[in-house]
Parts: sequence; structure tokens; C-alpha cells
Amino acid sequence: MADKHDGEHRIEIKEVAHQFGWRQVFAPLSASVSGGQTLVISGINGAGKSTLLRIIAGLLTPTEGTVAVTIAGQQQDALSRRNSIGYVAPDLTLYRELSAAENLQFFARLRGITLTRDDLIALLTQVGLRGRGKDLVGTYSSGMRQRLKYAFALLSQPPILLLDEPTANLDIHGVAIVEQIVAEQKQRGGISIVATNEPRELEWGDSVARLELP
Amino acid sequence: MNKGVVAWHQQALALLAKDLRAELRTKVAVSAVGVFTFSALLLLALATINLKDTPTLNMGVLTDPITRDGVVSLLRPAWEPASKMGLLWVLLCFAAFTGLAHTFVHEEDSGTTAALRLSMTASAVYAGKLSFNFLLIAVVALAVTPAYMGITGMPIGSPLVFISVMLGGTVGLSAAATIVGALAAKAQGTSALYSALGLPMLVVFLIMLINAAITLYSKNPTVLQIGRDVGGLFSFGVMLIAISALVFHFVWED
Repeated sequence: MADKHDGEHRIEIKEVAHQFGWRQVFAPLSASVSGGQTLVISGINGAGKSTLLRIIAGLLTPTEGTVAVTIAGQQQDALSRRNSIGYVAPDLTLYRELSAAENLQFFARLRGITLTRDDLIALLTQVGLRGRGKDLVGTYSSGMRQRLKYAFALLSQPPILLLDEPTANLDIHGVAIVEQIVAEQKQRGGISIVATNEPRELEWGDSVARLELP
Repeated sequence: MNKGVVAWHQQALALLAKDLRAELRTKVAVSAVGVFTFSALLLLALATINLKDTPTLNMGVLTDPITRDGVVSLLRPAWEPASKMGLLWVLLCFAAFTGLAHTFVHEEDSGTTAALRLSMTASAVYAGKLSFNFLLIAVVALAVTPAYMGITGMPIGSPLVFISVMLGGTVGLSAAATIVGALAAKAQGTSALYSALGLPMLVVFLIMLINAAITLYSKNPTVLQIGRDVGGLFSFGVMLIAISALVFHFVWED
């Protein structure tokens, strides 16, 4: 399932800052990360870690600076890079009225991915949800929903993983799964960007960028 | 897992299928629309029990000598068919706006927009949501109109023009409800905001619809009249869809 990504991936963050109304969320930040590396973003609550991840994902346009994303040697704009991103964040929710399998099949269809029954089982097994695929997401615990977000993020085997509070709500087995996912991403030449303040997760990074209040 | 290129219309169909599946499971929109429509029809039946057959006469048109036959020939219903059609669409508008508010607001409130934005284009989202709203309004109109006709005595008139008016109304109403729903959702909308945003569009829509209804129920409408009024109603819907499709990207990506 884990293919090595062809070409070079790179994310270049140049003097990026963002304002909500009159309030600047964080001071201009520059950082870069290449394929096979993990960048950890830390900062106090409200420092703008989630905002920065949304900017990198192309879900938010920064008020200052630029984010240049290169996938397999090709520059991507904010819209085109979305297909290359696996995103796990507290503000991301899947459909509670659908089952886990229906959610994954729906998003696979949107992305033009042929998801066979075996693929689905493999994906659910990878995140520790095997046997629970037919249950409605609305009946899931918060930890199971977090696991399902990883299944969603890994659907397209993306070259970029953006993980905001990656182990929130997860038990010890769930944390191990996430560590495995980040390690595999690195191994196959992908990029991981992790927003966290957890000491254990800070160690995942090849580099750490700290967001400062302006 | 094989990854291929997916066209926007395939994404729109996938979203429509997902929305229909979720709706069949939760019945949120159908029950909201159903309760409203049933209550409105019940009240309407009670309120108009004597009105639907009451005749009226414009005294100004009477000429000497006044005869019984002369008066009878000038009698017309107090509640005209075009007004009945107008009221039907007022009912459908409120029913639609009650149920359709959830299509975007629900996505925004439940936090599923991020996953959608990561996975599909804005034009596909618009097309998918518009299709869902169109289907829902069409189903409600199909269910409500015969009952309404029974209660109020609203005639069909020319069947072809009648179907055209109903279809044009459904297109226009679904177009208005879709873009207003998207705007309200992005503004962290409440139902009050939804109504406020929808009002200007609905006023224009209802005026065009009543013009089309007057043509439908006039005795000998010319082709030009039908083209102008019924065509105008269709044009409103198509224009609204075209403008919405152009601006939706900015609403969705804001």
C-alpha cells in the first residue's frame, strides 16, 4: 500500500502571517521542509498553529507571505495541492450520519480513488477500526473518530500529512498507530507537518518551528 | 487503490448521492418541510373553507338594464386562480427555506466543510447541492400541489403551461435557496439571516411567478405572453444559477 513518492516534495513557508480582523495571530514565520522530513510546529494556545496548518493545506489564504508547495518537482497552487494533502485536525469532521465505510467510499469517489473492499479493510485495520466500518460515525467515541480521520487522511496515500494535535483523544494503541504512520510517511519520502505541544510529539520533528505572538 | 482523474460532474453526483442517502437516513429536511407543509395546508383548508367558491362582482362593469343573467355572466371567483398559484408558491418558498437551510448550514455547523473543500471543487459542491435542493423541492411540489388544488379549487389551466410554470418555479426556488443557504452558512448563519438574505430574491421570484400564473389563467394567452412570462420565470432561475455558479467559488473559499 505504501508506494515511495516519485520526485522531490518541498514546502517553503516565507514570512507567513495571518490576521483575523484587526488581530494578528502570529508573527511572520519562515520555515521549509523537504520530502522524508517532519516539521513540528509548536507554540502556546492561541499562537496560530491550527491557522498555519490551514494555510499550508490551502484552506486559508495568509494575509502576509507565501507558502510554496512542490509535489514531485511540480509547483502546486492552493487548490491543486489539496489533493496531495492528508489532513487531520480537530476542526475536521466526517459525516456522523454515514458509516465509516460510507464516509471513506464517498471521499474516495470524490478524489477519483478506486477503493476495493480489501483496500477498505486494510485502511480500517491500519487505524485500528477493523470490524467497525459499518457502524455510523455518530455512534463512535471521540478516539474512534480521531482514528477515522487518519483513515480519511491516508486515503490517497498523500505526499504531505498535516497533523494538528495528532494524538488528541487517542489511547496508547492509537498513539502507537500515529507514530507508525508518521514513521512510514518519512520512510517513503513524504512530508509530515505536526502542530503540537506534547513533549513526546516534539521529538518526531527533524526541525521545530515555534510560533510567537506578534 | 488506484487513483484517477475525476470530473466535476462525477463529484457533484457523488455529493448528491451522499446527501440523498443521509436524508433518507435522518429525514431532517423532509420532516421539517413535511411538518411545515402539512400545518400550512391544514390552516389553509380551514381558513378558505367558504372563500374558494365565493363569487364577486365589479359593480363598475354593470350596464343598464341590470338583469339576472347579466349579473351572473359577470361574476368571477373572489379568490382568483392566479392568487391561488401565488399563495401555493409562498407556501412552497417557506417550506423549501425551512428544509433547505440545513444543506449548507449543517455542513458548516458539523465541521464537514474542511473535508469537502479538501476533496472537491467549489463548482461540484454547488452543482451537487443545487441538484439536491431541486429534487427536494420537486418532491414537495409534487406532493403538495394536488392537495392544495383539492383544498382551494385551483385549476390547472393549460396543462403544458402549468407544468412549465411549476418547473420554472422549482428551478428558480432551488437556485435561490442554494445560494442563500451557502451565504448564510458562511456567515455562521441563523435561520433569521437566511430569511433576510432570501427576501430580495424571493420578492423578485414571486413577482415573476405571479406574472406567469396570470398568463396561465388568462382566457386566451398569446404565444408572446407565454414566452415573456413563463420564459421570464425560467430565465430568472437560469440567470440565478449562472450568477451563483460564478460567485459560489468566492463564497465557498472565503
